Amino acid sequence: MSVTNKPEAALQMFDEGAVTHACWSCGDMRAAHFCQSCGKLQPALPTDYFTFFGLPRKLNVDVAALENEFYKLSRKLHPDLYARAAGQERQWSLEKSSQLNDAYRTLRDPIARTGYLLKIEGVQLEEQSKAATDKARQTGEEKKQVIPPELLEEVFELNMQLEEARINKKMGERDPELLREMEGTRNDLQAKHDALMDELHGYWNEWDALPEDADESLRKPVRDKMVGLLNRRSYIRNLVRDVNEVLEA
Amino acid sequence: MAYSDKVLDHYTNPRNVGSMDKNSQAVGTGLVGAPECGDVMKLQIQVNPQTKVIEDAKFKTFGCGSAIASSSLATEWVKGKTVDEALSIKNTDIVRELSLPPVKIHCSVLAEDAIRAAIGDWKKKNGVAAQAEAHAPMAKAGD
Repeated sequence: MSVTNKPEAALQMFDEGAVTHACWSCGDMRAAHFCQSCGKLQPALPTDYFTFFGLPRKLNVDVAALENEFYKLSRKLHPDLYARAAGQERQWSLEKSSQLNDAYRTLRDPIARTGYLLKIEGVQLEEQSKAATDKARQTGEEKKQVIPPELLEEVFELNMQLEEARINKKMGERDPELLREMEGTRNDLQAKHDALMDELHGYWNEWDALPEDADESLRKPVRDKMVGLLNRRSYIRNLVRDVNEVLEA
Repeated sequence: MAYSDKVLDHYTNPRNVGSMDKNSQAVGTGLVGAPECGDVMKLQIQVNPQTKVIEDAKFKTFGCGSAIASSSLATEWVKGKTVDEALSIKNTDIVRELSLPPVKIHCSVLAEDAIRAAIGDWKKKNGVAAQAEAHAPMAKAGD
């Protein structure tokens, strides 16, 4: 079984040479996955998904190119290729294949990618919420909800309607007026969802335009906007799902 | 997910589900959400203007079993307390009572937020000095 992969040609966007260490086998410098000199598979390092693909921490990603890279790496990292390799290489190919799948699944999806970037940038939504409640308790100040009140009202009202529609459905009643209203609601929600995605792309551009060494005072405002947007979106997504469920015959 | 018996009890037999007239002077309404899971919780209190005792409480929650149980328990606990006493209810008390696992702690935070928001609304309506309204919002997240 051959593991003599040719040294990687320099990639335009997938800069695998970005991470270099000494190769465990020949001692020469290597890229993230294979030694640039001898082509040997390298150990799986704890790394973020962007780095795994040799990508900068930017949010506009060429998904078609990512897919190509994924398939290319899948073939080259496949455990079958290492079935008769040394134990450690076999293990690394397993680990790397699993990293590759996780990284690809996360980065190809716009929402998962954004959420992941926020996570590795240190955003902890739940911790923030708890901390804000603790502060409200101590100071008597009102905790500002991360979701705008108008949206919460709307979500609440829609949930009331959905509940009624579900009960009707269970009883085998189809109230045509309520269903018509729900159709309209679905279209509204879809439009809202689309508008949110446009807004998100705007924030991606803001984020990607930040210089590499931009400090916290520049990064935080963009991050906060994305956090707020993901929060609003998760409500809209749930409602779309629930409305569709009710409208299903 | 395995729910504790107390969660199941509140979930299958929720106390004080319903709504009050949010325009009533004696009613405070708190509407809060937990974006992580898309829950939304409304909690309302009816306060005696003389004694400031919460005489009734209602809730309606759309969310998981733990969120429903947390808000159901919250309405039970606030009833009979003065508004100031009710403000001392902490999310950790709810966690303990319902044996909520770590992944469901945000449900208890939501319930505490709902109590605070309802009391804040009542205070605002009734001109009770609340520091809350004098201050600018503390977090800008979610703009």
